[in-house]
Amino acid sequence: MKQFNDFVIETHSLSKSFGDVKALQDVDLQVPHNSIFGFLGPNGSGKTTLMKTMIGLCRPTAGGGSIFGHDIVTDSVAIRERIGYLPQQPRFIEYMTARENLQFTAKFFYNGPQDKVWKRCDEMLELVGLEDKADRPIKGFSGGEKQRLGIALAQVNYPDLLILDEPASALDPIGRQSILDVIARLCKYSTIFYSTHILDDVQRISDSVAILNRGQVVASGPIEQILNGKDGVVYTVALKGAPDGLGDRLAELPWVAHTTVAPHNGTSVWQVSVSDEAAAEKDLLRYVLADSAVTVAEFKRKKYELEEVFMEIVKGDGNVS
Amino acid sequence: MSANLDFQEVNEWGGLRGFTNLFRKDSKAWWGTHRWWINALLWTVLLCGMTAIMLFASNDEVNNATEAEIAQAGGLIAYILLMGLNTFFEFGVPVLAIGTIILVQGLIIGEKQNGVAEWLLSKPVTRRAYIIAKVAANALGMFAILVGLPSVVAYGMLSLYMGALFPLAPFLSAVGIMTIHTFFYLTLTLMLGTIFNNRGPILGIALGFLLGGGLLGNLFEPIIYVTPLMLPNIALLTASAQAIPNGLGIAPLVATALLSMVFILVALAKFEKKEF
Repeated sequence: MKQFNDFVIETHSLSKSFGDVKALQDVDLQVPHNSIFGFLGPNGSGKTTLMKTMIGLCRPTAGGGSIFGHDIVTDSVAIRERIGYLPQQPRFIEYMTARENLQFTAKFFYNGPQDKVWKRCDEMLELVGLEDKADRPIKGFSGGEKQRLGIALAQVNYPDLLILDEPASALDPIGRQSILDVIARLCKYSTIFYSTHILDDVQRISDSVAILNRGQVVASGPIEQILNGKDGVVYTVALKGAPDGLGDRLAELPWVAHTTVAPHNGTSVWQVSVSDEAAAEKDLLRYVLADSAVTVAEFKRKKYELEEVFMEIVKGDGNVS
Repeated sequence: MSANLDFQEVNEWGGLRGFTNLFRKDSKAWWGTHRWWINALLWTVLLCGMTAIMLFASNDEVNNATEAEIAQAGGLIAYILLMGLNTFFEFGVPVLAIGTIILVQGLIIGEKQNGVAEWLLSKPVTRRAYIIAKVAANALGMFAILVGLPSVVAYGMLSLYMGALFPLAPFLSAVGIMTIHTFFYLTLTLMLGTIFNNRGPILGIALGFLLGGGLLGNLFEPIIYVTPLMLPNIALLTASAQAIPNGLGIAPLVATALLSMVFILVALAKFEKKEF
C-alpha cells in the first residue's frame, strides 16, 4: 500500500457560487501524490466546477487551494505548466489533424528539439492507439477516438498531474475499458485526479476517493476506508436456530458499537458493527458459538460495494471522511 | 516532469505566456487554410474590379461629368483618376470594414461557445496572450490580404492608367488611413466578442456604428472628429492630394488609433474576468 506523505492538490474551505447557486461549499480536499484519485458525485454536484476552479478557469468565491504548492488563483499558469487536463467534452482545433493538434499542444511546453517533440507526439498517438488515424481530419473521429485523443493531448507534456473530467462517461463498454487501460498505464508517471459517476470504474482502478454531493465533500479517503461504509468495520453472522439473548450479550462487549438483525432464507442475519477489528476477529465468533442453541451458517467481514456506500452517502448526506 | 529532460522548455515572458504558439495557430487559420486565397481573391476582385471599371471602362460617372467638374479636377485623365481613387478609398474603406466585422465576429465567441477557448486556457497560457495573439495574427492577415494586396493592384492600375507611376506618398498615406480604419473595426469586433455570448449584438453594434454612424455625425458634428466616420473621405482627399477641411486631418486619425487601443484594453479586462 502506498504511503501518502504529501499532497498534490489541497483545497481549504473552497467555495464557488454562481449568483444564488452555491456550486461548491467549503470543499476541503487532499489528493495524495501518485494516487489515482476518483472524484465521485451525481450530475450537477459540482465536480466540473471544482476542476475548473483548480486550473484557473473559474475563480473561487471564498477559500482557496494549491496544486504542487502553487496558489490556484495567483499561480495558475505555473500549475498549468505541470498538469494535463481533459475536459468533459474534449475540444480540438478542427482544421488540424490529430497529429497537428498534438504538435500544437506540445508547443505550449517545448520549443524543441523538433524531432524529439514530434517523437513524443508519435508516442502519445501510439499510447492511445491512434497512430493509424494520426493524419486524418478530426471531424471523422468517433466519440471514443476523440476521448483517446483528448487523453493524448493531456499527457503530451509529461504532466505530474492529470485532471480528467468524466473521461469515460460517454463511451460504450469497450471504449470505457480502453480508457481505463490507458489511465492505468499513465498512473506510473502521474497523479491522476478524475471525476466520474461510473462507480464500477472507480472501484476497479482508484486508490483514493472523494464523494461530492450538492457542492460539498461528504466522504473522502483511501478507497478501503470508504468501502468500510460509515458504520466502520462490520461483521455479518448468519445463524440458524433461536439465539437467546445474543443481542444483549454482544452489546456488553466494549468493542461492539451496535448490532442489527434481519431474517433471511430461514436464518437470522446479524450485522455487528465493531470498533476494534482485531478483537472482533479474535473473539466475536467465540461469543456467538457459546450459545449451543444456534448454528453458524455464515461468518464474514462485510465488504461494501462502492455503489452501496455512494447511494447511502448521497441519499442520506452522510459523512464518512 | 521527470521524463522531459531532453526538451527545451518554452521560455516566454510570464505575462504573455503562450503568445507565440497562439499567434502561430491564429496565423495558421489565415495562411494554412483556404482562407487566405479566398479572401485575397474576393477583396482584390471587389475593390480593384470596381476601381478598374472607373478607370478603364466607359461608365455613367465619367460620361455624365460636366465640363466644370472635369476642369476642376485638372482634365479628363485627372478626373477619371479621381473617380478611381474615390471608388477605391471612399467605397473600399467601409466595405473592408464590413468584411472585417464579418470575418472577426466569430473568432472569440466561436471559441468560447465550442469550448476551444476553455481548452486553450487550460494550457500554460495567459488570457492576455490569448487576446493579443488574436489581435496580432488577424491584424497581420487582414492588413496583408484585405488592405495590402488590393492596394498594390490598385496602385498598379492607377499607374497604368496614368502612363507613369502614381505619386507614392499620398497613396501610401491613404492606405495607412485605410489600415487604421480596418484596425478600428477589428479591435471593436474582437472587444465585443469578449463582452457578448452570441453574435447578434456583435454584428448589430459594429455594423450599426459603421453604417449608421453618419447619422450620428449629422446630429452631433463633433463626433466626426473623434471617430473613424470621416476616414474614408480623408483617405480619398489624401490620396488625391486635395486639401483636408480644417480640423479633420489628424484628429480623427489619432482618435481612431486611441479608440482601437482602448478596445484592446477593454477586451483584455473583460476576458481576464471571464469564467468558463
